Amino acid sequence: MSVLRDILDELLSMFLGDARLSLAILAVVAAAAALVYAGQPWLAGAVLLLGCVGLMLGSVILAARKAGAGH
Amino acid sequence: MIVWSTAAPAIASAFLASLVEVVEALTIVLAVVSLRGWRPAIGGTLAALATLIAVVLALGPLLDRVPLHALQLVIGILLLLFGLGWLRKASLRAAGVIPLHDEDAIFARETAELGAEVARRRTSQDWIAGMTAFKAVLLEGLEVVFIVIAVGAGRGLLLPAGAGALGACLVVLGIGAVVHKPLSRVPENSLKFVVGVMLSSFGVFWTGEGLGIAWPGSDFALLAFAAIFLATGLLAAALARRTAAVRPA
Repeated sequence: MSVLRDILDELLSMFLGDARLSLAILAVVAAAAALVYAGQPWLAGAVLLLGCVGLMLGSVILAARKAGAGH
Repeated sequence: MIVWSTAAPAIASAFLASLVEVVEALTIVLAVVSLRGWRPAIGGTLAALATLIAVVLALGPLLDRVPLHALQLVIGILLLLFGLGWLRKASLRAAGVIPLHDEDAIFARETAELGAEVARRRTSQDWIAGMTAFKAVLLEGLEVVFIVIAVGAGRGLLLPAGAGALGACLVVLGIGAVVHKPLSRVPENSLKFVVGVMLSSFGVFWTGEGLGIAWPGSDFALLAFAAIFLATGLLAAALARRTAAVRPA
């Protein structure tokens, strides 16, 4: 059973390695979906793309800041 | 008919991502070989490959039953979670914030851990070694299967993407058979960086299509997304290097 548990843990960490980043990505997708529903597909596309770009930048800088503070 | 503006990035993504995963699996299998010989290593590897084939055969037909937009949305979101995670880690490694993946160090650690496990347990030593190889090949293989499905299923490109992954397996196993040691010279972080860029681009593309967004330029939007994520990753690495260097007094 430990093999199965290890595999499930590993699979989960594939997608949810950084819980805050994962939640933020889901929030961006939800915002884009709401905009599509509101009849603003172009804005939804921009929010999806720029949101992911912004999250990526923010997440890396935050991790670097933490690493810097840890030294 | 294959549309190469979508097929080429899908094949390249599957090839490069599989290259990284197979190198990681090979390192652990070679650790098993060095400790207990080829028999448990090959046994564990074949059992993992059989399990992977069973998973693909069981889940493959289900993909055809899922409506295309729903499939694109689910796969797109999973790709965003997976791809942005890879790109984030690769940027942090490129900036020196977290250490680079070192196949030689992993080989030494796996060999030591496996040696300790074999000495501690009363179970058959070959069984423990075989299970180690099984787990490594199955885990890395599942990632390869996911990537092939993720970059291929949205446009009916499963076979070309699968061929890309198979090509990577053959390249790594061929080189591994010749050099017979962990492939520590593979520029793994650069590969992960490129794969992170491509998977994130596919993630935005499929998620958008799944939500009903018609991207300008259709499939060519993928190339624009790749350029944007590449620039973002490089900028993130540069900013991270500078941020980590500024330490509080």
